[in-house]
Amino acid sequence: MQRTLQILNELEQNGVMSRYAIGGAMGATFYIEPLLTFDLDIFVLLPQTRGGLLTLAGLYDALRAKGYVEEDECILIEGIPVQFLPAYNELLEEALQEARDTMYEGTPTRVLRAEHLAAICVQTGRDKDRQRARLLYEQAALDLDYLAGVLARHGLDGKWKEWTS
Amino acid sequence: MDQLKSEIARLFAAKERRRVRLAAQPFPEKVRAVVQMQRMAAPILRARGKKARVWNV
Repeated sequence: MQRTLQILNELEQNGVMSRYAIGGAMGATFYIEPLLTFDLDIFVLLPQTRGGLLTLAGLYDALRAKGYVEEDECILIEGIPVQFLPAYNELLEEALQEARDTMYEGTPTRVLRAEHLAAICVQTGRDKDRQRARLLYEQAALDLDYLAGVLARHGLDGKWKEWTS
Repeated sequence: MDQLKSEIARLFAAKERRRVRLAAQPFPEKVRAVVQMQRMAAPILRARGKKARVWNV
């Protein structure tokens, strides 16, 4: 995991991606009890292309050049299947901008805030997201004022109330 | 019946305490726990024809 994060940091330092943060089940695991997952979801802000298109092609090219191979929708980096998810809406862009810096066994990295992880669950809306949102609500010591702001800004407050009542 | 209810309540409370304890562990410890869960789940998933790669960390 540490080596995987070092590679992600290199990609960010080299400008292949503008900013990254851990999300998904592993992001949630940062705040709550460990959740079973087989891939590491990495949310990324990509450098703007000339046509304004969001594409992971440059990122994948850089990883292929380092010898990492694709495996289904993931790319295997130092023994971990990593799934890159570009920030495709305002909630994800905000989540990435406000992600928290942390260290993983001496390696700097970033994890999405628990409040954003909860909001992303609400926005995504699958059964497993509902379950994860519930766990975040129960275990993650959410900043409820901050969360209320996020949910209101992105029109998710009604669904959150429905899910947590 | 009341004894059974109190026993179940005690079990649920212990379960909840365990979850709180797990949530409070350092992140690298939790990652190791996830990998342990992967090791347990992978053979079952593979038997069902699903791909499951255990992390090499």
